[in-house]
Amino acid sequence: MTTIVHVVNQFFAGLGGEDKASVPVGAIEGSVGAARGLQLQLGADAKITCTIYYGDNYFHEHKEDAMKTVLDTVRSAQPDVLVAGPAFNSGRYGLSCVEVGNAVADKLGIPCVTAMHEENPGVGAYRDFANARVYCLLTAETTAGMTDALKRLAAFVIRLAHNETVGPARREGYIPRGIRRLEKANRPGVERAIEMLLKKIKNEPFESELPMEVWDDMRPAPPLAQVKHSRIALVTTSGVVPWGNPDRFKTYRNNHWRKYSIAEIKELEPGKWETVHGGYNVVYMNQNPHYGVPLDALRALEAEGAIGPGKLYPAYYVIPGNQGSPAVMQRVGQEIAADLKKDGVEGVLFVAT
Amino acid sequence: MSKELEKAGLPVALVSAMFPVAMQMRANRIVKGVSIPHPCGDPSLPKELDARLRREIVRTALKALESEVKGPTVFSAGIP
Repeated sequence: MTTIVHVVNQFFAGLGGEDKASVPVGAIEGSVGAARGLQLQLGADAKITCTIYYGDNYFHEHKEDAMKTVLDTVRSAQPDVLVAGPAFNSGRYGLSCVEVGNAVADKLGIPCVTAMHEENPGVGAYRDFANARVYCLLTAETTAGMTDALKRLAAFVIRLAHNETVGPARREGYIPRGIRRLEKANRPGVERAIEMLLKKIKNEPFESELPMEVWDDMRPAPPLAQVKHSRIALVTTSGVVPWGNPDRFKTYRNNHWRKYSIAEIKELEPGKWETVHGGYNVVYMNQNPHYGVPLDALRALEAEGAIGPGKLYPAYYVIPGNQGSPAVMQRVGQEIAADLKKDGVEGVLFVAT
Repeated sequence: MSKELEKAGLPVALVSAMFPVAMQMRANRIVKGVSIPHPCGDPSLPKELDARLRREIVRTALKALESEVKGPTVFSAGIP
């Protein structure tokens, strides 16, 4: 018999709404609230041995205590699978489902499945964790999708409990986590690629074997009224640094950024600068650093008046971008943005390799 | 990285040879670079033309900073 622990918030435990959002973590033997609906879908194949609940606010305001109690309870229940949610579009609940799932999978090695609407902030956390043992199914926005969500959760739980191999997200219906796995194909890559290309040419749908990470839209920053009256700075991931690499950048996975002065410098002389980057052939840039830091062009445009006198920021910012993790690059971006804003920079020329 | 700069309200002109990737990453002001190892210029050109090309790429980037865009937009430098 497959055993399951189900995690729900105060609302789905049937305790109450916002007025009960501060209820601490508790556990009830068997299934209560939404867990009863899940038990119904599971039928005789699996049993929910314990329902854990907590108030939405309690969980986030006392995260350490809440997580410890949840982990202790799950540890003593020893279920085959943990289910959290469905959380639909409830943000606090969705986040806690993902955080609990991640902790239970990591600390106790128990596979977890949750479910929520694609716009739930929990989905972002789920993608960030990219935990191979945690799956998140898509649901409707509201509880109108409850029966469907519970049905799919039940079917998924049984598969996890039976240690069935779970295939790629798009085939299995869970939200992609950005984990790539090697798979054995029955035809060589060149045939598959040509088939895709032909479909693409014919405007037929085809499925890439290397889907790209999905990025959110970003509202464009407003344009500069007049570049020549604006303070401009140059940022680059090309890896051009002073000769000798004084700040010891690595050729990949860097965690820090630096800015190097270009004040009073008219052009970057080869031999005084070098390029540190493991992702492309740096020969050209070593011969002419302007391919990454186009200072000669900036000075020429300054002379023309296209860039106002003294409006070019007297240093450029650099981090070799090779294999930078999105989280690190995000932090680096925030730090550089803060530094630029502090010095009154209004627009950025960004050279990426 | 460039998205964090935009989030802080700074318009960014992203010079990249991998502009389809930049589009996919939803960068907003994208300037076509020449190639990955030398986005700003072309070492196969005579020195002077190479410098002119670089100037045009940077000029295009400055123009991009002045342009109102609604979403990912690619700007190409006029070939000198």
